[in-house]
Amino acid sequence: MAALQRKEKNALEYLYDHYAGALLGVISRIIKKEELAEEILQDVFLKIWDRIDSYDATKGKLFTWMLNIARNQAIDKTRSKEFSKSKKTDDIENFVSKVDRAEFTEMSVEVIGLQEVLKQLPEDQRFVIDHHYLKGYTQVEMSEEFNLPLGTVKTRMRLAMKELRNLLKLE
Amino acid sequence: MNVEAYISSGILEAYALGELSDRERAEVEKNLAQYPELQKELKLIEEAQERLLMKAAVQPNASVKEKLFATIDSRTPVTKVVELKAEKGRLTFWRFAAAASITLALITSYLAYNYWDKWKSSENNLADLIAQNQRIAQDYNTVNKRLDAIEKDLNITNNPAFNRVVMKGTPIAPGSLASVYWNESTKEVYLSIQEMKQLAQENQYQLWAIIDGKPVDAGVFDGNFSGLLKMKDIKPGAATFAVTVEPRGGKTSPTLETMQVVGNVVKI
Repeated sequence: MAALQRKEKNALEYLYDHYAGALLGVISRIIKKEELAEEILQDVFLKIWDRIDSYDATKGKLFTWMLNIARNQAIDKTRSKEFSKSKKTDDIENFVSKVDRAEFTEMSVEVIGLQEVLKQLPEDQRFVIDHHYLKGYTQVEMSEEFNLPLGTVKTRMRLAMKELRNLLKLE
Repeated sequence: MNVEAYISSGILEAYALGELSDRERAEVEKNLAQYPELQKELKLIEEAQERLLMKAAVQPNASVKEKLFATIDSRTPVTKVVELKAEKGRLTFWRFAAAASITLALITSYLAYNYWDKWKSSENNLADLIAQNQRIAQDYNTVNKRLDAIEKDLNITNNPAFNRVVMKGTPIAPGSLASVYWNESTKEVYLSIQEMKQLAQENQYQLWAIIDGKPVDAGVFDGNFSGLLKMKDIKPGAATFAVTVEPRGGKTSPTLETMQVVGNVVKI
């Protein structure tokens, strides 16, 4: 971390080698076009490089910090003019929450290990994890789209995360 | 604060998912600094999330990494500073240019509107002034004509060649009063009314001169004029002037019982 904040390039390279895949996974669940997603990934790492000084370890893990940069960058892109043009849709909001998800392929679930882990979750918990992490829904969107009270979504998410801790540790 | 309840509310998960508003996030961060239990719990949540996402990774093409580091290399500190400076200068310039253009556009629009408004009200004012000017000119003409008439009348009344004959009211019209200005040498006769009652539409007054005991027609008139009215010429020798009421247009001989005013010529 200190090396990174001293702007040593091999520190960034280490970050890239470790986390580029996970972040591209997050981005590509929001942006379906491969080259566009990779372009965003590059922007995300440039941002990480430029803003590493503003990272505060007391506020959470570095990965969480990078994850939020990636997610925000991807979501900003869906709202940009360029993106709506390339997708030829004028209703961007709708596009983000519905169309994109409908087109969602089993790309990330190709990771067979993950699928197996998720299978061990109770149905309702798998639903929230699947929709949040693999399909890019926020908790509020899930609550609205599937007519679930927001409290229920939050509780399920909390239980699922708790369950995952154990399941992923066992791996 | 009940840490257990806070944790089970699921707010830490929402924090780790990046789903909180700025205000909520600031609150969570404040609590994190205060309660180590919360930090521990958050760490567990973040680790689970990280593992999950690591498993859901999508590996980028190798070209992405090359491009990324090529971009970073092209921004090495020395050139970076220069570039940033140049870029910043350019950016500042364009910002300034944009701001200036917008300001200019706003000022121009404002001025255009302002001038249009002023022009509009000037135009209205001008129309008002023209109308006023015309009214004043008309008034002036009217006054001027009256002045001319009064001047003319004054020339007659002040002219010693005109003999003024005051005709006083008869018993049937005691309040009536009128005067005749008669120039014996030019035969001109002018009439002025001081007081005569209004007549019915079908009647008119008729002025008579009595010459050698015989009435001579001197013309008809209505009772509603001001100043002097020119009547028919009367040859020398008239001793008396009188006014009778006759049918409109007048008669050849007076209806004596309708006589309103009468006055004798006083030789100077």
